[in-house]
Amino acid sequence: MTYAVELRELSKEFPGGKRAVDSVSVRLEPGQVFGFLGPNGAGKTTTVKLLTGMLSPSGGGCGVFGIDPAAEPERAHALSGVVTEHAQMYDHLSGMENLLFYGAVFGLDGALCRQRAQTLLEQLDLAEAAEKKLGAYSTGMRQRLSLARAMMHQPKVLFLDEPTSGLDPESAQNVHKMIRTLADEQGVTVFLCTHQLRYAQEVCTCYGLMDQGRLLAQGTLAQLRAQVSQGVRVEARASRVPPEAGWRQIEPGHYAVQVESEEAVPQMVRDIVSCGGDLYHISAAPPSLEEVYFALTERKEATA
Amino acid sequence: MSQKRQTIAIIQKDLRSITANKRMLAALLVVPIVLTVVMPSISLLALRFLPEDTQDMERMLALLPLGEQTGDLSRDMPGLLLNYVMPTFFLLIPIMAASVMAAVSFVGEKEKRTLETLLYCPLSLRQVFRAKVLAAFSLSELVSLASFGLMLAILEAETILLVGAPVLPGFTWVLVMLLVSPALSLIAVTLIVRVSAKAKSVEDAQQGAVFLILPVILLGAGQFSGLMLISPWMLLGIGLLCAVLAAVLLRRALGRFTYEALLERE
Repeated sequence: MTYAVELRELSKEFPGGKRAVDSVSVRLEPGQVFGFLGPNGAGKTTTVKLLTGMLSPSGGGCGVFGIDPAAEPERAHALSGVVTEHAQMYDHLSGMENLLFYGAVFGLDGALCRQRAQTLLEQLDLAEAAEKKLGAYSTGMRQRLSLARAMMHQPKVLFLDEPTSGLDPESAQNVHKMIRTLADEQGVTVFLCTHQLRYAQEVCTCYGLMDQGRLLAQGTLAQLRAQVSQGVRVEARASRVPPEAGWRQIEPGHYAVQVESEEAVPQMVRDIVSCGGDLYHISAAPPSLEEVYFALTERKEATA
Repeated sequence: MSQKRQTIAIIQKDLRSITANKRMLAALLVVPIVLTVVMPSISLLALRFLPEDTQDMERMLALLPLGEQTGDLSRDMPGLLLNYVMPTFFLLIPIMAASVMAAVSFVGEKEKRTLETLLYCPLSLRQVFRAKVLAAFSLSELVSLASFGLMLAILEAETILLVGAPVLPGFTWVLVMLLVSPALSLIAVTLIVRVSAKAKSVEDAQQGAVFLILPVILLGAGQFSGLMLISPWMLLGIGLLCAVLAAVLLRRALGRFTYEALLERE
């Protein structure tokens, strides 16, 4: 089977011995939105550079729809749209001119190029700034224009490295909606690198958790949760909780405990009340992506 | 077909980059104006109005081929200036134009972090570089042609006014415009391309062109001081040598880059 994105024991060691990516294996099917998560320096950007042919692997290999980007970068580029922090556009050209240039470089003809540029500028709330020079754009506007640029040639795979950094919450929300729409309606595969775990949980269908070049875990959120713990997390705001019930204080008056299922909640409420506590709020939820991530990194540190 | 369009898009964009950069544009315009308008005009006026000590000039004119000597100093001097002194100095123009354009095109993109974005396009590294070399070369040739036209117009006007007869450009200029100038442009571009992976700024990269400018200035000084005159045959030899050197250097420069080498210092 040809995967949209495939990493096979992919490794990259830089001169000087720094191993930025260490035997990472991932397989993505078309239409998946993959959250490649980890702190700065985890190896996310290096992985994107390997997948786009900007770096050559030291070990293993990778592919974009079966094309090896190290061997045939131009073919891989024709299928990929890339947004990274280092990939800037031309300050002396307007937003529209930038898109027209990149469209032309991707081989689009003039009329189609202008039509796509116009549509993308409207979708990303940049239509009014289309004729302004890029030099006058704010960081958020630049970031949105980079996304438009990456989508000009309607790529089958989008590599997005921190695409919402520098965006206000509303713009970030719009970008996430757009990513979901691209994946759901056009089957675009998205390889999304981010350290913003809350945003990732909103938009991704599966995840890979990176730490110091190694892939700690991968799978859907349910699969990752199963690796960390079973059950749900219950949080309560109360004046006191029964000491023997395993509650952990997060902050004064705010407690959390892990239980097997939501079935346990009514009894927990009764216990708080019967021990003389005033209960203001109680909720049960499976662990968030952020909690799963920290549980996995803590586990790794403990075993190390 | 599509690849041609992609190449043209890169060339047009590179040409716009230079016109949008006022500092670089000024450098591109000032040097040719000084070399093709100011310098020959001053020389011509000096020769016309300061004829007291003509011995040096006569010695210089004696170096001219017999067929080009009329015995009339005021009529021979414009010809000597246009066809023997100016060609060497004129060669500084393509070198300068090609260096400025190549530096902005290669190192300027790296400096402004736009190179990585360009490299994500579906063209090979070689094709991107070829388009950029072509852009620098085209601009250099355009500036050279415009400078030649301007110089000829000014010199003709001044000669007719001062001497009463036009001065005709000789065969030397055919060699300069069609062989030596394009070859030197290419060598200058190649020198910049070679240092572009390591250079951190546009200015840094332009220093490479010094190695090319120095021999041209020495040659020009030799001509101007009357030490030697370069015959069309010598110029043809120099031109052919430069063309071969340009081809070899260009081939080597285009083949030595990888994405990794280019972006590691970004």
